[in-house]
Amino acid sequence: MIDGTVVELSRIQFAATALYHYLFVPLTLGLSFLLAAMETVYVTTGKPIYKQMAQFWGKLFMINFALGVATGLTMEFQFGTNWSFYSSFVGDIFGAPLAIEGLMAFFMESTFVGLMVFGWERLSRGQHLAVTWLVALGSNLSALWILVANSFMQDPQGAHFNPVTLRMELTSFQQLIFSPDAQSKFVHTSIAGYVTGAIFVAGISAWYLLKGRHVELAKRSFRMAALYGVLATVGVITLGDALGFVAAQAQPTKLAAMEGLWKSEPAPMPFNLIAFPDQSLQKNAGAVQVPYLLSLLVTHSLDGSVPGIDALERQATQKVENGIPAVLALKTLSTNPHDPAALAQFKAHEQDLGYGFLVQRYAPDLRHVTPQQVRQAARDSIPPVAAVFWSFRLMVGFGLLMLAYFVLAVIYTLRNRVQDQRWFLRAAVWMIPVPFLANETGWLVAELGRQPWTVFGVLPTWMSASTHSVGYMVFSLAGFVLLYSIFIAVEMALMVRAIRQGPDEPGSGDARSAPRPAIAPRSAYAAPRDPHPEG
Amino acid sequence: MKTFLYFVLFMFLAAVVILLAAMLGDLGAWYFAWLIGTAMIVLVAAAGAALLDTQEEQAAGRSGPAPPRPL
Repeated sequence: MIDGTVVELSRIQFAATALYHYLFVPLTLGLSFLLAAMETVYVTTGKPIYKQMAQFWGKLFMINFALGVATGLTMEFQFGTNWSFYSSFVGDIFGAPLAIEGLMAFFMESTFVGLMVFGWERLSRGQHLAVTWLVALGSNLSALWILVANSFMQDPQGAHFNPVTLRMELTSFQQLIFSPDAQSKFVHTSIAGYVTGAIFVAGISAWYLLKGRHVELAKRSFRMAALYGVLATVGVITLGDALGFVAAQAQPTKLAAMEGLWKSEPAPMPFNLIAFPDQSLQKNAGAVQVPYLLSLLVTHSLDGSVPGIDALERQATQKVENGIPAVLALKTLSTNPHDPAALAQFKAHEQDLGYGFLVQRYAPDLRHVTPQQVRQAARDSIPPVAAVFWSFRLMVGFGLLMLAYFVLAVIYTLRNRVQDQRWFLRAAVWMIPVPFLANETGWLVAELGRQPWTVFGVLPTWMSASTHSVGYMVFSLAGFVLLYSIFIAVEMALMVRAIRQGPDEPGSGDARSAPRPAIAPRSAYAAPRDPHPEG
Repeated sequence: MKTFLYFVLFMFLAAVVILLAAMLGDLGAWYFAWLIGTAMIVLVAAAGAALLDTQEEQAAGRSGPAPPRPL
């Protein structure tokens, strides 16, 4: 049996690398389409300021993209190094989307990124615009495949367990990529990236406006980011609701943890706005509730209800009892794959195989399992409630804050008054970390809520890891934390330097050392068409 | 002739888009929504920039230099 400490360290290592990596990803997803929007305006109007915008934000995009790729590489290797049983168990299904993601990221996306960076003087305007759009599409489609793979872990669709080969096999690629979880997760995650890109661009533009530097470029960037951001934020909230609705069907334990719902209640169910869940006592302290709201949120009806943790634990107890004969049959089949009695026993209980694995942690020999061990395994099927509950509330809180920010941003920018609202510009700079925090807490909800499974209901986390030593795991974890911290520091330093330096804007140097004209020179934004050759 | 070829090309593209949209709308409604939504978000952002240009030009026109006085 794998050492529990090694499993925990493997989890911490993957979580750490994923959380570091995800500081870079959403900005790439969101900034790429904003660049496409800026360049679209440049190509359609011919005004050079939009080319400057696309080039300046493109420089920041490149810094982020390079470090994002570097931090993402190690994660795919970790499946093999730290999660070898998981990889052999679901490799048939998980491998395909990962391979497509790798091909998309390293062939389509990287090739077009190269063309985007070096092609300004070599491609016609139309060709360069097409390349920029393909970078945006490639970045987001690359994310699609990794999210399809992740969705399989949340809601395993399109696969079945083969008792002869002792691993899961793909039965329907269509079911895998069109599963409700894959769809809603992709759109929610991708559009959360748009929100991140919008707040980043709006925040830095606000800083330029505060400093009186690159004012025309900053006003246009802020306007585009505000409109892009407000629509994306409305979208991300709507799609988050859709994802919650899907979770209610596929992962009821995650939903119960998100809502701190220890006891099943009749409809209409109240929503715990604030509470302090206690896992050992299975109750909340200091709960502040909003009547009826939970039924409305998770079932879109006042008559709907969802099971509480008490009911889910009872269900899990039955599933564990039903899964034990499946695991016992599997043991026979591993020595004699054609044993008809074992095969029949497996078929009768295979839907709860994962729950049989869950209790094997406490009873390696399942012939002697005790009721106490069954109850313990059933209790294990509930994720860490307090962490999921608060991560969810933080994510939602950040989302609502960003919505309020963008609504105000749109009001100010549409009146062309944003440059006069200095308090708002200062707030915009401070808003830059908020979407990153929202993204990270969102992933905490998704992944902590999936526990105790690597593949929900099928493969427990405790048996998915590799058999490393504790020393090896501590050493590699320390190495990753150090290396990734350096990556973050390098990214921050490069970004800050590029932002301080500003765009290559003729005649738009630092206003602190130059007199400001009462009206910006018209040529700065309304110049005649760029002499760049038309494609 | 060139116009006709463009017409055929765009009609073909439209047919492909309709076919894909019908399939995708049936199998993956959220993916379809993402495609449409992303295009809309980008175009609204682009339109916002064009609107700002117009606002700036109008403002510059209102507060522009006074016409030269006759000597």
